[in-house]
Amino acid sequence: MNAKATCTLLSLAAGMSSACVMADEPRTLTVYTYDSFVAEWGPGPGIKEAFEARCGDCRLEFVALSGGVDLLQRLRLEGGSSAADVVLGLDMNLMAEARALDLLAPHQVDLSPLTLPVDWEDPIFLPYDWGQFAFVYDSEVLPDPPGSFAELLDAPDDLKVIIQDPRTSVTGLGLLLWMKRVYGDEAPAAWEKLNDHVLTVTGGWSQAYFSLFMNGEAPMVLSYSTSPAYHMAVEETERYQAAEFGEGHYLQVETAAMLESSEHPALARDFLDFVLTPGFQRHIPLGNVMYPAIDIGEERPAVFDRLIEPESVTFTPEEVQANRREWIREWLNASTR
Amino acid sequence: MLDANNLSFHYTRCDPGETPDFAFSFRLAPGECLAVSGPSGAGKSTLLNLLAGFLSPSGGRLTWLGEDLTDQPPWARGMTTVFQDHNLFEHLPVWINVGLGLSPDLRLSDDQRSDILDGLAEVGLGGLHDRLPGELSGGQQQRVALLRSLVRETRVLLLDEPFSGLDRGNREALWGLVRRQQAAGVAVLLVSHDPEDVEALAQRRLRLVEGRLVSP
Amino acid sequence: MASEALTAGKASPHGRRRLTQLPLWAGLTALAALVGLGLGSLGALLVQAPGISMASLWQEPYLAGVLRFSLWQASLSTLVSLGLAIPVAVALARRRRFAGRRLLLRAMELSLVVPSLIALFGLVAVHGRQGWAAPLWEALTGSQEGYLYGLSGIVLAHVFYNLPLAARLLLQELERAPAAHWRLAAQLGLKRRGIWRTLEWPALKRLLPRLAALVFTLCFTSFAIVMTLGGGPASTTLEVALYQALKFDNDLALAALLALTQLTICLGLWGLALSQGGAPSLAVGDGSAPLGGRWQRRDALGISRLTDTFWLLGLALLLLPPLVAVVVAGLGGLADLAHQASLWPALWRSLVMAAGAGGLALTLGIALIAGHGWLAARGKRLAAGLMEGSGQLILVLPALVLGTGLFLLLRPRLGGGWQGYGLVVLVNGFMALPFVMQVLRGALLGLPMAQRRLADQLDIQGVTRFRWLLWPRLRRPAALAMAYAMTLSLGDFSVIALFGSPSAPTLPMLLYQQLGSYRWQTAAATALILLATVAALFVLLGWLTRRLPRYPLR
Repeated sequence: MNAKATCTLLSLAAGMSSACVMADEPRTLTVYTYDSFVAEWGPGPGIKEAFEARCGDCRLEFVALSGGVDLLQRLRLEGGSSAADVVLGLDMNLMAEARALDLLAPHQVDLSPLTLPVDWEDPIFLPYDWGQFAFVYDSEVLPDPPGSFAELLDAPDDLKVIIQDPRTSVTGLGLLLWMKRVYGDEAPAAWEKLNDHVLTVTGGWSQAYFSLFMNGEAPMVLSYSTSPAYHMAVEETERYQAAEFGEGHYLQVETAAMLESSEHPALARDFLDFVLTPGFQRHIPLGNVMYPAIDIGEERPAVFDRLIEPESVTFTPEEVQANRREWIREWLNASTR
Repeated sequence: MLDANNLSFHYTRCDPGETPDFAFSFRLAPGECLAVSGPSGAGKSTLLNLLAGFLSPSGGRLTWLGEDLTDQPPWARGMTTVFQDHNLFEHLPVWINVGLGLSPDLRLSDDQRSDILDGLAEVGLGGLHDRLPGELSGGQQQRVALLRSLVRETRVLLLDEPFSGLDRGNREALWGLVRRQQAAGVAVLLVSHDPEDVEALAQRRLRLVEGRLVSP
Repeated sequence: MASEALTAGKASPHGRRRLTQLPLWAGLTALAALVGLGLGSLGALLVQAPGISMASLWQEPYLAGVLRFSLWQASLSTLVSLGLAIPVAVALARRRRFAGRRLLLRAMELSLVVPSLIALFGLVAVHGRQGWAAPLWEALTGSQEGYLYGLSGIVLAHVFYNLPLAARLLLQELERAPAAHWRLAAQLGLKRRGIWRTLEWPALKRLLPRLAALVFTLCFTSFAIVMTLGGGPASTTLEVALYQALKFDNDLALAALLALTQLTICLGLWGLALSQGGAPSLAVGDGSAPLGGRWQRRDALGISRLTDTFWLLGLALLLLPPLVAVVVAGLGGLADLAHQASLWPALWRSLVMAAGAGGLALTLGIALIAGHGWLAARGKRLAAGLMEGSGQLILVLPALVLGTGLFLLLRPRLGGGWQGYGLVVLVNGFMALPFVMQVLRGALLGLPMAQRRLADQLDIQGVTRFRWLLWPRLRRPAALAMAYAMTLSLGDFSVIALFGSPSAPTLPMLLYQQLGSYRWQTAAATALILLATVAALFVLLGWLTRRLPRYPLR
């Protein structure tokens, strides 16, 4: 306790909080995650506090990277010598490749509390939140949004949407898989029709949402079905809503996993157990703007009841791994004419 | 004795066998002053630059009392040039400009500092030690430059029209400074087109015509 | 006699240790560090890569297209940026006094370092389909389609970034012309054409090749702008392919090959530019009287009043509205931002890191230029060019490759803490080198011939030469270089994102966190703080070095 206080003080004085090395340091759990997770207003700080209170003599240390893809690459580069005990933020589409690295250990957590829209029995990847990709629209400009992909593709050409590149963005890849799931072999033709409506293809979600959509450049942007929850709960506006498509929406599940090489395997398991408890999950809805992975009852903000609840569609992680390159090439061919 | 033996220079690269644009031989004894005059373009600056080591000769030898200077860098020749202008570092005050002659890395003892002040007073610049060169008149600037050559271990003083544009009073004061160096055994090479300067200082005269030294 | 006392303490020119090679060794050390870091990281990728075949470059059929497009957009952006920067710089040089001139110059310094996401926000707010300029465009052309998406948008954004940089550098070059030349021009009564031919064009011509290489490199490697405004996958950069190869496909061989392609193209261009000679510099003239003096320039009368107004107004219209849009958006989020405890620590952390990167860039830049000057003075042109060119190496190398390569080099483990921050400082410092070198070059090599000879004859060498002869002239450009380097580091996100961090963000990281979780107004406020910090840095560093030091005797 005392050592911890001194350590914190030291880090504060130095202006940078880094791992203080001390003789009687408590056990430290290192969690790799992505940067918005650890933001001051994100779920990270609350989860850290709750977990440290729960385990008594441990410390939880987040290391933030840019996104899921960076997490995967970091694991790949570090291999068995990774400093991480737990990695938090690999989504379904990265699972197969992460599994193939042979660096992750089974979580051994009871999956029965899960309330995902799909069955989940994976022994390694533990879901901690989920959402669906969706087109978010500005209801002041577009009071009558398309109700399906078919309607979007057949809409007049002046209905513009902003999408992201599947090569550099998680949402972009989500749309690619979504279109493939809905249209199968007809996907190239569907892309050609969709491209008439595409204002531009950005590299990342932030550019699309912040630089363009919030500036009113197009009435629709590729995002998550949960995005309106933020606008309704925090900004208290009903203006931005997600369009519900009849063909179903592609599912996004974010997972946690522990590393085989963890120096504190028991503590890592403790953390994974903690993931499926209200102590962790209550920070998800507004902190991460996603659905919690278990039923947290009254603690789920009321705005989540006002979100669209479409059917979910997916590929298996293995299908994604096997076909991603081919499908991206297909998209490129359809989009570069 | 400064001995220039067929020191030559090509303005443009050419075959080694070709006649050089510039070639000269002369001797200059310690304490002696040799005046060189000539029309503009005759190569007076080239002559001085070759002696000072700012240009590399394409042939010939330069020695001082038998010591070969031909390939020595400028700082190892014991030569000090005083040009018509730009002799001082314009961003440094007078005392540093003089002090650099005493110690190139400017490590000056307290004694040396007060010596600088005395020296400045002696050449009529008392109290001006903290001025920047731009704040002095042309004649005052040349006095600082000559004072520096005086405090430096100089074997040969190269004067490149250092008095031009100055009034009679200033020039006489500067001549005095040059003569003092001659008395101390410094060899002086004076490039000037002013007969008064030559008359006042030189024991011998040569003329530079088309890259060759000739008797006047 | 006092002078005899002086003579007794004479320095002997013969026994001194030769310090003349100091610049060479300093330059070689910097060169080794740069090449070690740059080629080392690239080499690490190549070593890890299973097998490399040039053919794989062309197996992805779209890569050739990407390359073609990158070359095309970068050339076009460079041409437009420089083509417009020339009249702007000439007009700025001609008009030495008008309301808002200082403000305009400040804004020109800012545009270089606005993080691309923020610049995009500002550009979209002004030039987008719903932007401030949209009604005007529609009235002019009757088209609702706008011009921001596609090649025109990419070029517009690149001109927004690079025209002010280029014009600023060109202006400094114009102002370096000796006052005597301007006096002469005034006496002879030279008019616009005459001044252009005798003074302006010769000055600009010296700088243009290097400037073109710098701008081309920046445009060629620009990532977010090209992707966001490109309109579709047909307009992308090599970096996208690189990202895919490195992150998604774990294809190190292809990544290294792509990096090599970029390296070859950009370094080739630099080689071409450096062989053109010339001494560009952002340095303030060497103490000569201010350009133009008190008299009115003859070419400042007549028709040029009109054309200069046109160019300066054009510059202001290009530069200011997007910045204003960011400021307006940021003001709205300031209240929210004030509640965020992480803001001030983030700012402090960023400043400390920026100071480190700035100091490093300055030191390396001075060493490289000194070494270059030493070699050039001895006629070793190729070696001199190599030494100067090496300063551009890190800018030309994709950050992604550098980061991954360094990671591989420093394996097995790179802690998330201090080492990560240290690496970011290191890489930022190296990336700022091309800018720092542009600024310092003229001042360092510009020691007038007369003074250089004087110093040689007096045997002032090594540290003393630097301390007493170069540094006093270098202070101002060094302050400017420091400001540029610090600003680049302050605004950098690409490098810091590579190494990750222990939940202690820098200012740009905070900004991206805010964007990543819908807080775009707060993000705009953070950007505003970033801009204000940068402006303050330029003012502060400029103020600290405004006057020449006087060195009193006692």
